[in-house]
Amino acid sequence: MTLLRQYILPRIVQWFVVIFVGISITFLIPRLSPVNPVDNALGRLTSFQTMDPEASQQMRATLLDLYGLDGSIVDQYLNFWGRLIKGDLGPSFQSFPTPVMQIIGAGIGWTIGLLGTSILISWTLGLILGSLAGYFSNTWWAKLLERVVITIYPVPYYILAFILLMLFTYYWPLFPLVGGSRGEPAFTWEFISSVLYFGFLPALSLVIGGTAFRFIMAKALASTEMTSDYVQYADLAAVPKRKILFFYVIRNTMLPQVTDLALSLGALFEGALITEVVFGYPGVGYTLYNAINSGDYNIIMGITLLSIVGIATASLLVDLIYPFLDPRVRLR
Amino acid sequence: MFKKLVFLFVLALFSVPTFVSIAQEPQGLPVDVPREEMFVIDQIFRYGVAGNYNIWQTAGTTPHRHAMMDETLWYIDQETGERVYGAAISDPMYNDDFTQMTVELRQGLEWSDGVPFTAADVVYTVETLKATPELGQSGWHAQFNQFVDTVEATDDYTVVFNLLESNPRFHNLFETRWNGVYIMPKHIVENVEGDLGTWTNPEPVVLGNYIPTQFDPNGFWELYERRENWETSVAGTVIGNPGPQYVLTIFYGDSSRKAIAMSRGELDVYFDADIEAFETTLDTTPTARSWYADFPWAYPNEVSTRQLAFDFETQPLFQDVKVRWALALSLNIVELQTEYIGGVAKVTPLPVPATPSLTAIYLDPMQEWFENLEIDLGDGTMYKPYDSTVPDQIAAWAEAQGYTVPGEPADVFGPGWWKFDLEAAETLLTNAGFSRDGGGNWLTPDGEPFTIDLQSPPDENDAFRMANAAADMWSDFGIDVNLQGLERAVWDQNYFVGQVEVYTPWMNFALASGDAWPEVRGDHPRYYVPNGEDVRPAGGNAFFQGQRLQDPQIGEYIDAMAAITPSDPANVETATEFFKYWTENLYAITVISFKKFVTWDERYWTGFPTAENPDRMPLYWFQAGKFTIQALAPIN
Amino acid sequence: MLTTLRDLLRFSPSFRLGSIILLLAAILVILSFFSPYEPDDRRAVERNVAPSIEYWFGTTSQGQDVFWMLTFAVRNTLIVAGIAVSIGRGIGVILGMISGYLGGVVDRILSSIVDSIIVIPRLPLLILIATIMRGQMTIVALGLLIGILDWAYPSKRYRSQVLSLRERSFTHTAVFSGMNAWKIVIQEHLPFIIPFLLADVVSGFLFAIGIEVTLSILGLSDLDTQTIGSMIYWGNYYQSLLTNRVWVLLAPIGASIVVVVGFYLVSIGLSEYLDPRKRLARLRVKE
Repeated sequence: MTLLRQYILPRIVQWFVVIFVGISITFLIPRLSPVNPVDNALGRLTSFQTMDPEASQQMRATLLDLYGLDGSIVDQYLNFWGRLIKGDLGPSFQSFPTPVMQIIGAGIGWTIGLLGTSILISWTLGLILGSLAGYFSNTWWAKLLERVVITIYPVPYYILAFILLMLFTYYWPLFPLVGGSRGEPAFTWEFISSVLYFGFLPALSLVIGGTAFRFIMAKALASTEMTSDYVQYADLAAVPKRKILFFYVIRNTMLPQVTDLALSLGALFEGALITEVVFGYPGVGYTLYNAINSGDYNIIMGITLLSIVGIATASLLVDLIYPFLDPRVRLR
Repeated sequence: MFKKLVFLFVLALFSVPTFVSIAQEPQGLPVDVPREEMFVIDQIFRYGVAGNYNIWQTAGTTPHRHAMMDETLWYIDQETGERVYGAAISDPMYNDDFTQMTVELRQGLEWSDGVPFTAADVVYTVETLKATPELGQSGWHAQFNQFVDTVEATDDYTVVFNLLESNPRFHNLFETRWNGVYIMPKHIVENVEGDLGTWTNPEPVVLGNYIPTQFDPNGFWELYERRENWETSVAGTVIGNPGPQYVLTIFYGDSSRKAIAMSRGELDVYFDADIEAFETTLDTTPTARSWYADFPWAYPNEVSTRQLAFDFETQPLFQDVKVRWALALSLNIVELQTEYIGGVAKVTPLPVPATPSLTAIYLDPMQEWFENLEIDLGDGTMYKPYDSTVPDQIAAWAEAQGYTVPGEPADVFGPGWWKFDLEAAETLLTNAGFSRDGGGNWLTPDGEPFTIDLQSPPDENDAFRMANAAADMWSDFGIDVNLQGLERAVWDQNYFVGQVEVYTPWMNFALASGDAWPEVRGDHPRYYVPNGEDVRPAGGNAFFQGQRLQDPQIGEYIDAMAAITPSDPANVETATEFFKYWTENLYAITVISFKKFVTWDERYWTGFPTAENPDRMPLYWFQAGKFTIQALAPIN
Repeated sequence: MLTTLRDLLRFSPSFRLGSIILLLAAILVILSFFSPYEPDDRRAVERNVAPSIEYWFGTTSQGQDVFWMLTFAVRNTLIVAGIAVSIGRGIGVILGMISGYLGGVVDRILSSIVDSIIVIPRLPLLILIATIMRGQMTIVALGLLIGILDWAYPSKRYRSQVLSLRERSFTHTAVFSGMNAWKIVIQEHLPFIIPFLLADVVSGFLFAIGIEVTLSILGLSDLDTQTIGSMIYWGNYYQSLLTNRVWVLLAPIGASIVVVVGFYLVSIGLSEYLDPRKRLARLRVKE
């Protein structure tokens, strides 16, 4: 009971506060931007041909009304919460009158699939390889691995992605340039294999980048752990190396690693903006980028909302399961 | 154990891609349609409203749908300047005071479901758009309410519009440059239950020749299939050719990705690319070409032009016409057009592009005036700034590069431009009160260094390279130019609110038909907005009004044009007078016409318009692009 | 101090190599002050020349000498990253340690603040702010911005690191034997935190360079100041890969790798040196 009152409840209150503050900030910032959706829509209509100026002013008024942007910022803020509580994120401006929910719905599956898979793969790979390299730091393969990783690791992600794109779509045209799948979604081998095929390059870029990062963290943690007394004892006690590594070393370095994993999984709702732009992959990151450029507040809000809730929840869960992962963490 | 693990990992790293790509036989198109029955076009934007075919809504970006699905009454072909009859079969017929317009409709047209198209559809369209503010596409709702009193069908194929006020250009709403009022299928729309503002037209019945059958929910692509009764569509009737069975519009992204897609045979035409990507296409795709089979390749006749435009309020020194002329005369147009643009666009001294039709209407008749134009260097010396040998100089450069010039230099490179005369520029600036400091740099009349803040968005290739040229040449002349390449949304905002000194907009002062008023009405000084405020809410042409130009004389010319019917010879005469006034004042330095590397690959399809075969414009992304697509034939 | 440096150079191969690399970067930075060209000069040299004796790293499509551009780029990028890392890690370490050691209400309040910041996605926020700043984004402003947005994650990591250290047996031993709290932190915990901090600083550098490149690619940084990102932007803009003028891109990519690898190696060397038990282990090997 004390646990609930002293630890869990405040943590849940904190969750609400964090989400409220986060959402309020993201409500405000886009509205400071000079890019506004109404003039943007008008600009789109008149960029190829001129429109009668009187008519365009009338349209402006209509759009302000349709978009629900004619009140003061306080009204808009209250309206926003009113709608949000009913689960309505409003229409996208850029794609008016398509509801934001529908637009996010079209992209979120791709994003979760792509990012979720590659985060999990790179986390596992990086953790295992990094710990191995940290543990067997004197073997040739550990040194080779480390050298490869520290050469790849600093390459800015964009460059890595762009090089992969050029290599495998142009010089060696094995993979597609744009899209997430072929044909209509269906539970068939053709469709599923096409999802793998279209997702391969973007996933590869994410896995390479992510593994390198995780590798370095895991190696640093493992080599610190290596010098712990218990490892030395275990070694002296002739516990098999494999067992020491997997049962003691990795397990003891897990805490920060799991925190990181949870947070990056929580963050996947914001999408992999650069990945999606480079590989022309359908997902919410690309949508978000377009929304920022066209001042589509409702979409910006919708996607960041997901992301905020995602990360806040992930971090809540991490805190709640901390004591189970590392019994040494006691409550204060 | 660990070695095995590493080995397995490395193995997986190489085998998985090989396996997956073998299983997929490297093919990157997102649809399962026989390649030789499908024409793949470069989609200029991502669809904003994927799966929503209610194109009359205040919709987001819907590229290509208007060409594939929708019809209007008339089309203007930008290459020939001619009117093509669409759903109409007559010109617009006005009464004497332009308060009534009558149109005869084409007979024998059918909707894609076989229902005949009649005057009732047109009447229904106008009445519905007029009554429904949510259907805000292209501002037709607002404009119908502004102009239309009643509309009636006097028989099945005649429509009469009764207007609220005299309007000799009412038909412009139904005549394309980009698009014209999309006619609704009355038998479908009138049976829609619920709100037309949210109806998504899930199974479109179209008057155009193509029905959308598959789409990407994220808007990257859309697949169209030719309707069965193609002979009774407008394009089918006009062209008499079935066109491709399938058309895929697909968004690849930037130039390099389009060039790559074409080299892979996954793109049949792209609308534009930068010159580097275009040259790569020529190298990697032997079957690809643009308008000219050889130099200068690009399609030079899209109806618009590029400027170096001044903001007269951020830098009041620009208000002195001598300063503007000095800046123009210190540009070396030949070097700009060749070294920076690659020799592939036409030069023009006016915001009127040097297309064949507009050259015949404006630029050729004005040639003598240009040659005799004299400006005052500020000390009473009269000076002739025009140089009609510019195209010949460019041709000489081209030949020195080993290129053949396909025709008369003036037809290929434009009529002429201002001289490159640093001496005259020097005199102008000196007489404007400027002086040079010890290092040869210009000082303003106040003794401050003369600096120019020049902003241009790099993704607008020609504009940005033109800005680069100007920055280099003005720097050589002794002006401290700060060139900023800005992301487009940022750049837009800067001229909207006047945080710029010189920017690179596009302006166009005449439609392909020669009518100037519809293109310049937004330039009227009544839409002037002072620096610091956004120009757009006033309703004027943002590119133009960004200059913060307040010259009542311009307003008088525009008002005069508004009162003349487009077919009256006085219309062109008034416009010409306006252009002369504009040129003498050189309110913006117009540099080149638009050019597009519209490039297509003849691997699967042939019949795209070319310089040898210029029957129509290759600008497939405009609504009149439907005819271009309709005329295609399979290569074998 | 000098002895430490000498020991490090003598005994730690990674430190040795890292220092050489960083020295190279430093030389580049110093050279930038002696460049024969102004940073924004175009048409200074012949265009599109492949690397040669005259132009070591070739020239660009705008007629710039890639080598001299690179000297400016490395300098400016290091300025951006340096500002970002000092601000981000400064705030992060302080908050993380306060929160981890003090615990209780302070921890709860700080954690709430950190969590509220963490939940806001950073890259979109940066893009938004860059758009709002409309071309007024100087490299210093960029560094500040990245720093201000990049302290929450590190602080969370330091907090959990501290939490885990606090529960270790040696901490308890120290507490029971009456050791002063500051002493515990400085003598017992810092040796564990510092290797972590060093790795984190390296990743902070990387993050800052990555963000700088990303914003440049999106056209939102100051494209007219030479940085690694803006060099990549212009290399791409003039299609240096499609047209086989790879040297324009190789230079900035190579530079970003070299700089970060240098930092990484130095950080490894330092952390091994700082970790008392590891040093012992190594010395034993040497004997």
